[in-house]
Amino acid sequence: MPKLANATQRAQKLLLEALKSPENLPALPPADWELLLRVARRARLLGRLESDLSRAGLLGDIPPRAANHLKAARNVIEHRKTLVSWEVNRIVWALKGTQVSLILLKGAGYLLAGLPPARGRIFADVDLLVPEDQIREVEDRLVGRGWFKTQIDPYDDRYYRVWMHEIPPLRHQERGTEIDIHHRLLPRTSHLKSDPAPLFAAALPLAEPRLRVLAPTDMVLHALVHLFLEGDPDEGLRLRDLVDVHDLLCHFAQQPGFWASLVARARELGFERPLFYGLQHAQRLFATPVPAETLQNLADAAPRWPIRKLMEGLINRALLPGHPDHPTRSASLARWLIYVRAHWLRMPPILLTRHLWFKAWLRFRGVRKRVDLAQLDLKQQ
Amino acid sequence: MIIGDLSRQECQEILAGKGLGIQFGPFNLRIRSNLKSFAAVAYQLYEPYPLLTAAVISDFHVDMNSPPGLRRWLRPQACFAIDGHSPFAPYNLEHAFPALEWGINWCVATRAHHLLMLHSAVVERNGQAILFPAWPGHGKSTLCTALVHSGWRLLSDEFGLVRPEDGMLLPLPRLISLKNDSIDVIRHFRPEAIIGPSFQATRKGTVAHVRPPVDSIQRAQEPARPRCFVFPRWIAGAPFILEAMPKSQAFLMVATNAFNYEVLDEISFRLVIDMVNSCDCYSLRYSNLDEAMAGLDELSRSFDA
Amino acid sequence: MILVSAGRRLLWQEWDGHYLVFQPSSAETHVFNETTALILRCLEEGPLSIAEARAWTEVALDAAPGELGADEFDFATRRLEELGLIEYRDETIASQ
Repeated sequence: MPKLANATQRAQKLLLEALKSPENLPALPPADWELLLRVARRARLLGRLESDLSRAGLLGDIPPRAANHLKAARNVIEHRKTLVSWEVNRIVWALKGTQVSLILLKGAGYLLAGLPPARGRIFADVDLLVPEDQIREVEDRLVGRGWFKTQIDPYDDRYYRVWMHEIPPLRHQERGTEIDIHHRLLPRTSHLKSDPAPLFAAALPLAEPRLRVLAPTDMVLHALVHLFLEGDPDEGLRLRDLVDVHDLLCHFAQQPGFWASLVARARELGFERPLFYGLQHAQRLFATPVPAETLQNLADAAPRWPIRKLMEGLINRALLPGHPDHPTRSASLARWLIYVRAHWLRMPPILLTRHLWFKAWLRFRGVRKRVDLAQLDLKQQ
Repeated sequence: MIIGDLSRQECQEILAGKGLGIQFGPFNLRIRSNLKSFAAVAYQLYEPYPLLTAAVISDFHVDMNSPPGLRRWLRPQACFAIDGHSPFAPYNLEHAFPALEWGINWCVATRAHHLLMLHSAVVERNGQAILFPAWPGHGKSTLCTALVHSGWRLLSDEFGLVRPEDGMLLPLPRLISLKNDSIDVIRHFRPEAIIGPSFQATRKGTVAHVRPPVDSIQRAQEPARPRCFVFPRWIAGAPFILEAMPKSQAFLMVATNAFNYEVLDEISFRLVIDMVNSCDCYSLRYSNLDEAMAGLDELSRSFDA
Repeated sequence: MILVSAGRRLLWQEWDGHYLVFQPSSAETHVFNETTALILRCLEEGPLSIAEARAWTEVALDAAPGELGADEFDFATRRLEELGLIEYRDETIASQ
């Protein structure tokens, strides 16, 4: 179906070009702007485009109608940033008097450490990494100071605590921000072993002594693990997350010896495969300046040739958004496959079948079908 | 060019093909639908609205189609989609048109965060706008419909769109949806009003859509300055009474009912403060529409004094 | 123990005895009664001991010394502290 393929290619090319060369955007014709806005919105990159154009002083040179969409995205993003940093502020307040120190993961980490991925990026929740033996104390403290455990069915509750790497989310009774507290990066059941101890040992403090972020190599590796192992059946792999990885790599590459330590750390933590995929696709899509030497050193982390070819194709289809008017079967299949694979990597097959079957049954019975407008709102920027 | 410049057949074909481009105030829409019944109602009610050419950027791309596959034959349904995603469960086929109208509301409310969006009807006369915020007590849409058929211009029935740069209200003069008894009330009050078909047993009861007067649609690019807040409440048998409302209460009602007050942070606070400061704020009780028209006319005359 | 105003500069609006306050750090809009608002205003000028803050609020309220109940004052300051508008600090202020 050449027409479908062309439409998809056009949409993807527009987006990747926009990310690579925002200075060309003022010259874009209206039809292209229209498509770009739709595709960027789907990939949650509207805010990133706004930020790029704002930094280049070009917001006044694009069609005002397009600028309105970008401005809207920016307003939502700025608001969410305030909410996230405030939530962290209140968490620190709630933990006053304890000896607990927290590692801020993902968005909250980028934001409070002033790192490039925070630019033009929407953050929904606060993700914390806490030693397993301190989880109880943190949970008790927060619940005692106004947070509550979000209502989930008992099956999910058990699933979270026993099999996963986090406790059910907490939310303050007066605010909407969710706090996800993890004690390891990946579930106990995962095929990738992930002992959290080295992460805690290497974490770096922020200005507020109670807060820390992962060491640079660990931050990159976590972003990659999150990208490849936490998919979404509709969205597939989040291109946004790969953009984060690209930003982190470009930023930390300025540190001498970074690339070598990245590979070494990946081997130490057992994350060579996600690193291999991540570097490969980041370089291909965003021209991330990965040294040839690094890729050579990682060559043994690549899967056998047939699997490698298959994964490349799958990841490709699952990463890039399609044309909103011309969805392709192969793309939705790829996204679904990647999602299943992600789950498979997180838990053994028996559990997975039982889990997916039970979730399908719950959905069939009509549990939790309400439309959460706030969440949908977030997905639109 | 307006939608009415197309023939009914052309309109139906365009809806089923590349999509109908239509302008509603600040927003360009592209609507696609393969449903003949939907096309018929759309052609009737969207007739005076501007038809868009291909060279413009559309803001929202919405579809109202029967879902693919078996379900099409088992139980006739219509599915609202935006950019290929369906945020809502499918509707009964006969509710396709109201479903699209609600869908468009949803698009605006979830995306147009470059504006402060109050939940309010807005009408204008002599360059001064009155906002009727939504609050418990209903009657907002009925009152709004009556006003725009009594010499007032419609800015919007649902959305008070405030432009942050200057606090001006942007028109979004779309169809006004009336529910249940209000439909007959308006038919009786203004027999010349153009009202579309009644849709029974929707999620909100019986619903029908009033097409605003052509003047309101033609002046959709003309903003207005807010002059007054009126919080209306229809109470059976009540005489027309306008009572000054404390500004703090007005602020809270407006802020808590807005679609996106929280999103704009400090800008929202300043905008609503400025509006409440510069506007007179009233609560209104009424039961008789003629009395209400006369009373609000008098109020509007007092603005110029 | 002293009380200190926390966070960025607040935005104020007063109408008919109700105080609307916008808190930029949290993007929250608060509604306060006169007592709570005055406590907050006093502390915006500088840190005060608990006793001083209470005394100043009484003056601002035109109340007699001791008229502002300790319970009411405590409730207001705890609420302000929970909202992140003020902080308790384990210090004393050097006497002038």
